[in-house]
Formats: sequence, structure tokens, C-alpha cells
Amino acid sequence: MNDLNEQTVLSISELSIAFGGIKAVDNVSFEVNEGEIFGLIGPNGAGKTTVFNCITQFYKPNHGSIRFKSKQGQTVELTHHKSHEVIGYGLVRTFQNVELIKELSILDNVLIGGHIDYKTGVVRQAFSTKTAKMEENAYRAQAIEILKFLGIEDRKDWLVYGLPYGILKKVELARTLMCNPKLIILDEPAAGLNDTETLDFANVIRTIRDKYHTSILLVEHDMRLVMDVCDRICAINFGKFLAVGTPKEIQRNKAVQAAYLGTEDAA
Amino acid sequence: MAIFMQLLLRSLETGSVYALAALGIIIIYRTSNITHFAQGAMGMFNTFAVTFFFLYGRMPLWLAILMGVATAFLMGVLVDLVIIRRAKRIAPISKQIITLGLIMVVLGLASTVFGVDPLPLPKLIQGGEFDVLGATISYNAVFNIVFGLALMSLFFYILQRTKWGLAVRTTASNELTARLMGVPTKTVTMVAWALAGVLGVLAGVMIAPATKVDLNVLDAVQINALIACVLGGFQSFYGPVIGAYIIAIAKNMIVFYGQPLGLDVWGEQLVLLSILIFIIFRPNGIIGKKIVKKV
Amino acid sequence: MKKLNLSLKNPIVSYIGFGGLLMLVPALILAGVLRNSTLTLVASVIFYSIAALGLNVLLGWSGLVSLGTAGFMGLAAYISAYLTHDLKLPFELALVAAVIIPTLIGILVGFISLRIEGLYLAIATLAVSEILRKTFEVFDFFTGGYSGKPISFPTILGFITQTPANRTLFPILMYTILVIFLVAVMILIHNLMKGQFGRALNAMRGSEAAAQAMGINLLKYRLMAFGLATALASLSGVLYVHFIKYTHPGSWTLALSLNLVAAIIIGGARNIYGTILGVFVVFAMPDLILKQIPYFGTIPNFAFIVNGILIIIVIMYYPYGLIQITKDFKKIWLKLKERFS
Repeated sequence: MNDLNEQTVLSISELSIAFGGIKAVDNVSFEVNEGEIFGLIGPNGAGKTTVFNCITQFYKPNHGSIRFKSKQGQTVELTHHKSHEVIGYGLVRTFQNVELIKELSILDNVLIGGHIDYKTGVVRQAFSTKTAKMEENAYRAQAIEILKFLGIEDRKDWLVYGLPYGILKKVELARTLMCNPKLIILDEPAAGLNDTETLDFANVIRTIRDKYHTSILLVEHDMRLVMDVCDRICAINFGKFLAVGTPKEIQRNKAVQAAYLGTEDAA
Repeated sequence: MAIFMQLLLRSLETGSVYALAALGIIIIYRTSNITHFAQGAMGMFNTFAVTFFFLYGRMPLWLAILMGVATAFLMGVLVDLVIIRRAKRIAPISKQIITLGLIMVVLGLASTVFGVDPLPLPKLIQGGEFDVLGATISYNAVFNIVFGLALMSLFFYILQRTKWGLAVRTTASNELTARLMGVPTKTVTMVAWALAGVLGVLAGVMIAPATKVDLNVLDAVQINALIACVLGGFQSFYGPVIGAYIIAIAKNMIVFYGQPLGLDVWGEQLVLLSILIFIIFRPNGIIGKKIVKKV
Repeated sequence: MKKLNLSLKNPIVSYIGFGGLLMLVPALILAGVLRNSTLTLVASVIFYSIAALGLNVLLGWSGLVSLGTAGFMGLAAYISAYLTHDLKLPFELALVAAVIIPTLIGILVGFISLRIEGLYLAIATLAVSEILRKTFEVFDFFTGGYSGKPISFPTILGFITQTPANRTLFPILMYTILVIFLVAVMILIHNLMKGQFGRALNAMRGSEAAAQAMGINLLKYRLMAFGLATALASLSGVLYVHFIKYTHPGSWTLALSLNLVAAIIIGGARNIYGTILGVFVVFAMPDLILKQIPYFGTIPNFAFIVNGILIIIVIMYYPYGLIQITKDFKKIWLKLKERFS
């Protein structure tokens, strides 16, 4: 397997997956660079979330390779791994419909993000040994730090159940930050948010990139957010690659306009 | 061949009993989203009622059975009106426990009203047997087999071909939509509970002459019916019925043909083990469809 | 020197205090306040609570329904009875063996849970339990078959046995052992469930997708949950057989598994005191309280009927379990306090 370039963190090449004969993703390739905020756009049903599910190994692609530069510094072929293994390499995701545990507090939900870093085993946890306690307290402190950064530290003990969407999105984001990720994948981060919340979220995404030195890959419907926050964008339609470039280039691209922006302008 | 026929006929008879009980469980599951653990207990209660009508009410057996069917129907309606109808909004897992409470109430009532002593209940058709391909079978067994099959055919005919059946099927597939479309889902659920009660007492009356009527008369039937539902799949009405006959046939065959190998006492365990292995490979049962989860 | 936190707010301290409270029962019996039979009744609450706490790991925390508890309890009871009574092995060794063997089978059942879910899993575990129960019936040189298997009290630590001199005290010693085990299990469950392991189980129940994305290996945690639940069911079975001194295939039926599920739902899923409260309501309330009610208590099976009705009422009006009532009381208490201060 070829190692990735110095500046590339994720490289997807010739990715294809079909469900019952229908090609949801057909020969899509793009690369995400270190420290980049990269957007994946396309009309409804274009296959964006499917690409995400392939990257995080919830779906196994029929064809193509997904290479990732892990936080350990090696190039990893993700398709050879299981979905619970990818976080260990520094790749973590959020979900379109917010997948939090509603019976747990905000703090406990965030702590789930630190799951893989725990060194003490179940037996030492059962007897609540000194090392187990120290480790738990250290991660608690880290989680509180993250919640502080996102401005929801004062609600850390609230149950997630019934909280407004804007806060839930932040809790999910906080959870991804627990594992010191190299690349965060955000599935429609602005869905369900109002205008001020979306604006706020754009700032949060940028600050995360700068403060935690991560790259961010996001799928989004809200064009203002995408054009505002992304360094580069890849557009797909009906599972096929259309174009990749800066927001300006994408806005000017004829194929993209025809497939997506064009129809929206006409409307 | 004669032995095989004998085994097959006996299996069809027990299969009918399991199938009736399983059908009761699946009707409740599909219309109320409740696992009916009390199907056997309620059937037991009404079988006791039949026995009482027969022994102490001095009614002819057929009338006693009809009376038992009536009490079963009423009991089903009552359970729906008093409990199930008011429990729509509670969490699915808690809902399952309601029928456990029902078991306790029914067991307590049965032992209070009918006592704890086992009572005999005769066969509906006394005496008389004839030969089929070398196998001997009693008229009562034939009646049980034919009656079970006829009843289920009637049920499936109503389910597939009539307006009432359509109402049941729409309620089963999506209760909310059905209600919005004007299906009287409340009545459907009530009739389902009544029907399950009737199926329970019929299963009880069929199996009781072979044993005695006591508090545990339908325990084994309840368990086999539940397993039949898993084997056949909870997503269709006829899957559990097929599952019930398969279990009955497999059990009788293994117990008999396994005898030389010393497998007879292990027959039931072997059948259960095979079913376990089967559902590992076909998690949704014989008829079940796979449900794909979306992230 | 570290300061010890001895307040009842510290759960560990409260569990030990609870154990002390349970030890009041034999004291009151010796003082003649309670009847002798109460000891057995409270003991049964203790060993069923251990099994229920294990089942709560599956049902409450992991969201996996199992109806196999009775089978595993029975298996452990028979193994321990056979090893101590027939093979004359030490009680402590039998206890370890009788916990390990069913636990290994329980872990095997955990593999099934990765393929099937919900109701299907519940009935698959019921099938496992039925296989075990049928085996108890036919494997009679080991189990005593239908007539059951009577044994005597075990020899503790190799030298403490029941003699005519300590006839009344020995059951109390056994009871003390039960209490120690219960408190230990409560502490263990508390430690595990508040930390990384418990959060992983919670995540698995709440969202499989999120759990996997956060690096939780579903298979591993399902197997661990099944292992823990079976180990505790087995421990419960061992304590049962050595306290009751008898085991019979009829004790390990679907009814017991269902009652344990009911206890958890009634008391409160994912709550340690709730589980014990639920076990009390299901297993001890009929005999201990309902039968003592004047006039009605004498109607045969009145207690059983009332308990059934009670269960239905609790489910309908306290869907989060009876433990919710204590929270309601607390709220009312705080309100009253506010008003009068």
C-alpha cells in the first residue's frame, strides 16, 4: 500500500458501493488535507452519508480504497478494519440524527468518547482501585475542559433527554473531541439548527480545527455554512463525482450548477 | 410406515394445540405489541371453567365448552378494557410485564375459585377409533386435527379476504396510520384479546383429556407456542402456525426414532437446540423478513 | 492520612449500612420479635436479588432481554449440590466451579445475542433455559430427577459444620454469608456501572451506531454482560441450594425467570436499590405483608392476586419503577421543608 503524501490525511479513491443493484456511490475519489475543513455536498440522495458510512466502515464498499494517516503516523487502509476500530486511528464521527444516550448526563455522554483510551481493565474498575479512580478522574477533568470550551460546562449533569437540538449537537461534538482525533467527520452538523445557532456552529468548527489541530470533513445541506466554513469542497450527484475545488470554484462550476445550485437558483 | 403414520397423526394433534396457542400469542403481539406470556394461564383458567360447567353444572360437554369459550371471550374483552387500552403509552419493555401480572392474578383467581386439585376432563368424542394406513387413530384425535386446521383456515380466510381482516392487518402493520385512516383500532385490539382467549381455551380443552386440568395444564403449551413464534417469525400470522407443527412433528419423531440411540429422553432438548442453531442462521425465523437499520 | 468519607451519600457506605440493616433480622428473631420463617423469606430476597442484579446488567444497562436466568441458577445449584454432597468436595471449591461452568455457557449464549435481538433473543434464552430444565429432569444420577435433590448445610472453610449444639445459629451463619455476598455484589455492580464499562453498556443499549463509532466492540461487551449476568445468576443458585438445602426441576421454570424480569421492571431498571425493592415486592411481599392483613389475608391466594394487580398498577403508573416513588417522596419532603422554614 502506498503511503499518503505529507499533507494528506484521508484519501478516497474509486469508491463504489451498490445496494441491491442500485449504485449509491459510483467511483468517487477525493483527498482531505491536514488541517483542512472539507465539505462534501450534493442534492438529496446523492450518496453523501453513504460515503461517510463507508469511511467509518458501517458499510463495506464493493470497490475502492480508503486510506487514512493515523494519529500513530502510519497509513492505514480503513476498509480492512471494523467500525469500532477506526476511532483508534484518530477518526471519529457524528451522526445525522444525533446518536446520544438519552438516559445519561451530558458529562457521561462525553466520557463515552474517551472509551478506547482507558487503560484499566474491568477487574480493576470493579474493585475501584486507585489507578482506576485516578484514570476516571483524569478523563472527567478532560471532558469538563471540553464542555467548558463549548460553553455548556454548567449543564454537565443534565440528562440529555429533552434538551434542545443545538445543545445535543454540541454534546455530540464534545464526545468526538475526547479521543484527540485527527479527523472529525460531521454528518449534517447544521440540520435542525436555526440561523444564529448555525452561525455559532461555524465558529465552533473553525475553533476546533485551530485548537485541537484536526481536520474536519462535513456533509451539509446548508449552503451558507458550507461556503462560509469550508476550505475545499467536493460535489457529488447520484453517487457520481462532479467536481472538487474551493467554494468559489465550486460555485462557478457548470456541472455543479446544473445538478444542484442551478436548480436551486431557478427556484 | 404404520408407525410413521401414527407418529405423524399424533404430532398433528399436538401441533394443532401448539398452533392455536401460538396464533393467540401472535395476534396479541401484532395488534398490541405485547408478548402474551399469560396466554397459557388464561387458557388454563377457562379450561377449569369448562371442567366446572361439565362436572358441577352437569352440562353436556359441548355446551360446557361453548360456555368456556364465552368466558374466555369475556375475559379477553375485560383484560383489554381494564388494562391494555390504558397502557398504550408505556415503554415496550414494561408492557411485556403486564402479562406477568396477569399470570399472577389468573393463577390466584383460578386456585381460589376452582381449587388446586387436578380435575379430569373427558374427550369430546368418546371412544371409537379407525385405521389410516396401518395407524390407529381415535375419532377425537381426528376431530382435534380437523377442527384445528379448519379453525385456522377460517381465521386466515377472514384475515386475507374480509374487511375485518384488512382492519386487523393494517392495525398490525402500523397502528397509528391505521387509526388515522379510520380503522377502529380499539375494537380490533379488543377482538384480538377476545380471540386469543378463545384460542387459549380451545388449546386447553384439546390437551386436557391427555393429562388432567390443573394450574399448570398449559405451561408446556405456552413455552412451545412462544418458541413456535420465534421459529416461524413474528412478522407474519402464519409463520408461527407452521413453526408449531414443525416443533410437534420434530419432537415426536426424535423421541421415537432416537430411542435405539438412547436419545428419547433428550428429544425435546435436541429439538430446542436445533431451533436455536436455526435462528442463529435465520434470525427472523422461517417466514421473517430482514429489517435493515439505518444510521 | 486520607479522610474516609463515611456519609450515607457515599453509595459504598450505604450498601454496607444496608447489609447491617439486614443483619437486624436474625437479631430480631433471636429476640423473639420476628418469627423463624422470616429468616428464610429475607434470605430468599437476598439470593434472588443477586440474580436480579446480574439480570439488570443485561436488561437494564445493556438492553438485552434474557429469560434464561432460572436455567443457569438451577445448573449452578445442581453442580454445587453434586460437588459438595456426592463428591464431598469443599464448599468453596464447589462454589467456584458452580459459578464458572454456567458462566461459560452464558457467554456462549452471548454469541447468539449478536445475531438476534429483542423478543427473539428473549425466547432463544428461554429455549436455553428449557434445555437445561429438561436435562435436570432426566439426568437423574446427577440431579435426583423429578424427586429433587436434598443436601445438608455446607462445611464452611473446612471446619465449621452444623452440629446439634449450633442448630439454631448455623442458619444465621449461612444468612450472614448471604448478606456479605449481596453487599459485595452491590458494590461491584455500582463500581462497574458508574465507570467506563457501565457507560459502554449504556451506549450499546442507547445507540449501537454511536457505540461502534466510539470504539466499543459490541461483541466483546455483549459477551461480558452475559458473562456477568450468568455469573451472578450462578452465585445466586449456589447460595439458594446451600441455604434451602434442596433443589428440584420445578424450581427452575420460566415462571422464576419471568418473576426476576418483573422484579427489575417493578423496582427500577439500572437501579441497585430498586432491583432489591422489586425482588422484595415480587418474592416476599405476599408472605411477609399481604398475608398478615386481617380477614383478607386469610382468603387463599389473596396475596397472589393482590401482587399481580399491584404489578400491573406499578407498570401503568410508575413506568420507571417503584424506586421513582422514593424520589417523589423526596420532592414532597423538600417542598414541605421549604414551606415551613
